[in-house]
Amino acid sequence: MTTIRRFCCNDLLRFTNVNLDHLTETFNMSFYMTYLARWPDYFHVAEGPGNRIMGYIMGKVEGQGDSWHGHVTAVTVAPEYRRQQLAKKLMNLLEDISDNIDKAYFVDLFVRASNAPAIKMYEKLGYVIYRRVLRYYSGEEDGLDMRKALSHDVEKKSIIPLKRPVTPDELEYD
Amino acid sequence: MASKFGYAGGIPERKVRPIWDAIDSRQFKNALKHVTTLLAKHANSPYALALKALVLERMGKPEDAFSVSLNAKEHLFSNDSLLIDDLTLSTLQIVFQRLDRLELATECYEHACGKFPNKMELMMGLFNCYVREYSFVKQQQTAIKMYKLAGEEKYLLWAVCSIQLQVLCGNGGDKLLVLAEGLLKKHVASHSLHEPEALMVYVSILEQQAKFGDALEILSGKMGSLLMIKVDKLRLQGRLLALACDYTAAADIFQKILESCPDDWECFLHYLGCLLEDGSIWCDEAVNDPVHPPKFVSCKVSHLTDEQFDSRISIASAFILKLQTDTSDNSVRCPYLATIEIERRRHLRGKGNDDNLMDVIVQYFCRFGHLACFTSDVDMFVEVFTTDKKAELFGKLVKYNDTLSTPPTKALGLSISLSKIKQQLLLGDMFKSSASDVEDSCAQMFEMYCKNLPLSKGFDPQESMHGEELLSITCNILVQLFWCTKNVGYLVEAVMVMEFGLSIRRYVSQYKILLLHLYCHFGALSVAHEWYKSLDIKNILAESMLHHILPQMLVSPLWSELNGLLKDYLKFMDDHFRESADLTSLAYHHKNYSKIMEFVQFKARLQHSSQYLVARVETPLLQLKQNANNIEDEEGILQSMKCGIHFLELSNEIGSKSLTFNEDLESRPWWTPTLEKNYLLGPFQGISYCPREVSTKERETSLKRDIEKKSLLPRMIYLSIQSASSSIKEHVVNGSVTPGITLELKFLLERFAQFLGFSLSEAVEVVKGFSNGERSVVSDSNLIDWLNFTVFLNAWNLSSHELVQPDRNERKPIIWNILDSMLEKYIFEKVRSMEPQLCSPWSDIQLLMQLVTEPLAWHGLVIQSCLRSCLPSSKKKKRSGPAYQSSSNLAHAITDSVQQLSLVLEDVMKWLNEWNKRPEDENSEDILCLLRKDGHNDGPGRVFHILETFISTMSNEEVGDRIYHSLKSWSPADVARKMMTGKLKVLMEFSAICESKLKLLQSLKQQIAQV
Repeated sequence: MTTIRRFCCNDLLRFTNVNLDHLTETFNMSFYMTYLARWPDYFHVAEGPGNRIMGYIMGKVEGQGDSWHGHVTAVTVAPEYRRQQLAKKLMNLLEDISDNIDKAYFVDLFVRASNAPAIKMYEKLGYVIYRRVLRYYSGEEDGLDMRKALSHDVEKKSIIPLKRPVTPDELEYD
Repeated sequence: MASKFGYAGGIPERKVRPIWDAIDSRQFKNALKHVTTLLAKHANSPYALALKALVLERMGKPEDAFSVSLNAKEHLFSNDSLLIDDLTLSTLQIVFQRLDRLELATECYEHACGKFPNKMELMMGLFNCYVREYSFVKQQQTAIKMYKLAGEEKYLLWAVCSIQLQVLCGNGGDKLLVLAEGLLKKHVASHSLHEPEALMVYVSILEQQAKFGDALEILSGKMGSLLMIKVDKLRLQGRLLALACDYTAAADIFQKILESCPDDWECFLHYLGCLLEDGSIWCDEAVNDPVHPPKFVSCKVSHLTDEQFDSRISIASAFILKLQTDTSDNSVRCPYLATIEIERRRHLRGKGNDDNLMDVIVQYFCRFGHLACFTSDVDMFVEVFTTDKKAELFGKLVKYNDTLSTPPTKALGLSISLSKIKQQLLLGDMFKSSASDVEDSCAQMFEMYCKNLPLSKGFDPQESMHGEELLSITCNILVQLFWCTKNVGYLVEAVMVMEFGLSIRRYVSQYKILLLHLYCHFGALSVAHEWYKSLDIKNILAESMLHHILPQMLVSPLWSELNGLLKDYLKFMDDHFRESADLTSLAYHHKNYSKIMEFVQFKARLQHSSQYLVARVETPLLQLKQNANNIEDEEGILQSMKCGIHFLELSNEIGSKSLTFNEDLESRPWWTPTLEKNYLLGPFQGISYCPREVSTKERETSLKRDIEKKSLLPRMIYLSIQSASSSIKEHVVNGSVTPGITLELKFLLERFAQFLGFSLSEAVEVVKGFSNGERSVVSDSNLIDWLNFTVFLNAWNLSSHELVQPDRNERKPIIWNILDSMLEKYIFEKVRSMEPQLCSPWSDIQLLMQLVTEPLAWHGLVIQSCLRSCLPSSKKKKRSGPAYQSSSNLAHAITDSVQQLSLVLEDVMKWLNEWNKRPEDENSEDILCLLRKDGHNDGPGRVFHILETFISTMSNEEVGDRIYHSLKSWSPADVARKMMTGKLKVLMEFSAICESKLKLLQSLKQQIAQV
């Protein structure tokens, strides 16, 4: 039961039930507002009956040439709305926007290497592990860069896994 | 910044590059060296000076930076032949912004634009300056100039947004919208629009003028194709049609959306609203607080005839039925919940009946009852029923549940949903049920949790486990049992259940919040604070979640923890206020115009936050409490807050301000639905489940009064110190007391008296009456205010003599005498009424702590001030020597007061030491005893007994390694110990405060003895 609409500032005061989750980071204001100011189409919230916030996705589009891509910065769902495929709906929306509006080649995301349930979910959604990023999370834990090719990447070149892991300073984007 | 290379003010790039490199790598000393070299050659270059100012500011030398940047500005203005470039200006702008002097940066750009009127780069800089200053009119004027010069759509939209801001956030009248529309119309006629956001602004300008038809025409025209997300466009069209009261067309649009997004609940409500020709949902959007939207869909009784109503409802039912058949996705709930909403509308119209409504809820339960969100989905519908009907519904649900055969996880989900409904019933109707029935339910729920724990065997610790909610429900009901029976054992049991849950999986935030409040209730604030920290509340979450701990911390002696909370919160808010305009500027540049209004309004919302204002007032009060033992330190603090003048201004302004309330009250436990309310402190009564009868208006009025009163305190403390010292000087040099101080203090006393509900003269009479034991006006809720008032009254009386002349036969001025005896009386009263036990009422201890850290502390400052003025200091030894003797009444007053307050504090310390006497194990054993049944069947301990049995019988194979080890390592004795040590820690902090005050009094005694 989901009304998916653009995220707005007031939602920041309403998303506590989602962000109290220990794996969901609460960023500083300029981070959220930069996303809203630059990529409002990549920041969506799902609302349920009684105007409850169910979850949200934030992302951006960036890169040059054939690395022009959508990026999922965060996707999260409140505990009471889990196991209902909401994350999938939100991801599909971001993929659609990347594919149809911005004509991007792929969508990528980073996930903690230890977060097995999330990795499994992304794999189900068609993402593959493109490369491992050493000590990506606060210089401690490795991250996995996962990708899904979009229709413009006809030969699916963007998702051919790299053979070696990379370090955070080798990443093209922040 | 490294990108800002170029020729600036005639300085070659290679000479500037090392400076920027050093700044970028934070090597400021090195940067300063380079700048100094540069300035040797280009002493008058505004750019070189601006760079120096920037480096100095980054080095933490704001004053130096300011004078250098002013110098740069002067050169910029005075040298006519100078070529002004944006690099110089933007560097200066950065410095001025960091120094909080935005207006100076604006002046620089204004000057530059005056000198070179057609330079787009400079005008852009000027526009940004106005954005930072929220000068909407000037923004508009600048943008129009830019639009005229460049003819770009972007600049036109900047102007239009600036107009919209004037209307919605400034003083601009609605007529300005006509101007905005005209500008857009003209541009569209010749150039059309090219950005989707530009179109959205155009539509919103028309919508704000209620020109819905025009807006619709534009959307259906060529420009409409700019909106690429089809659903968004349809939603916009639907809303405009509904606002234009073209409900038939609007309903068609919403139907279309539902066909492609059958799970869109809001869209369904819009659809139904349109079918029934009820536009209240859109009207409500405008009046409702967007941060706390209502759970209920408000709807008015339809003006349709019965036949029309029936026919529309059957259209809706048929369409919803079709949606149900067409949707293969099992997770889609909207078409099923829709049937309940349709039934509710029938009910509201007087055409439905309870049975039908119950039936559709039962059907929904059969389909989705296993989901965690089932209860919140149907919450609003269940509320329609009376208590009896709710019980009937519950009976029906139970009956159906018994007939369903489902896999274990689904069965557990169904049982949890039932438990949640039952909890609502129990909480709402408990005064009708017997305590043992409630205990039975409670035990059942806990048993269900234990029984189903094996379902989560092998789960990743990050993953939610099955049945977690059962523990929260158990806890909630145990607290209810405590409220009903006042048996503290239930509360201890509730703590045990939550701690147990967290030892199995430590990430459940719901448990942590419940625990936090339970520990607060026991006074184990330090443990509550630990749990709060473990929630990792930061940034914007502090605005919505700090309320869980802040009110309790404000009246606690955990000053350093409180300081941390306030500092982090204020830093977050102030950082946002500083950065917000830059982010708005980003939205302008990225052409996301719809975000501009949103950002400006959001900043205003946070600036008016009630919690922010509370924090701003409480922070200086905390500093004043912390430093009250040393008058010089206190004066330093007061100086840093301009002797309380700022807060006085706040106190004067607050009445006309409107406050926003951004707390997430939904996350609070049922027994304390708002910050001000705690049912457990009052008598047991029936309440509706999770009562949300919070009137924001009421909260606003009382909070404003509180802020208004509290923000008088710093100034009153300052004036009291001054008044006390000038009263002595009067005796010493026979000079006159500064009349301004006395007058101002009197004026503030008048204001303070109003908060007590009296005029000054009446309040003085009340205070005088205290000496005869007349205290009927004093209650726990105004005790601190009365005592603070008496402290300030006494200080004023010392210098004014307007009120009471010292009685010749008395050793002390009369008010002073009354004040000392009141402090003594109330502190003794609190101390003697409380046994040193875990469950002694914490609110009394809180009052005791406030008495010592507020009125007693402020009175201590008055005494210090008197004594300092009359005791010989090294410089004025000869002259002030006899002062102490010459003002003999005061001398007696000080001597007596110090003696009396010392005795009071010694008594408090003695009482505090009683707490510490008992061995830790004995304390925790006492707590555990509250839970041991020892053959009794009634009373607390049943759940705890199940818990202990479960731990001892559970095997590794059943629950898996991780859970098994958590169970085995969990110790109730540790929890009991934690409860007691948590409380003791707070009391010991208080003891340390008392001790420091006692030391102060002893040193004052010594000083007096030396005279």
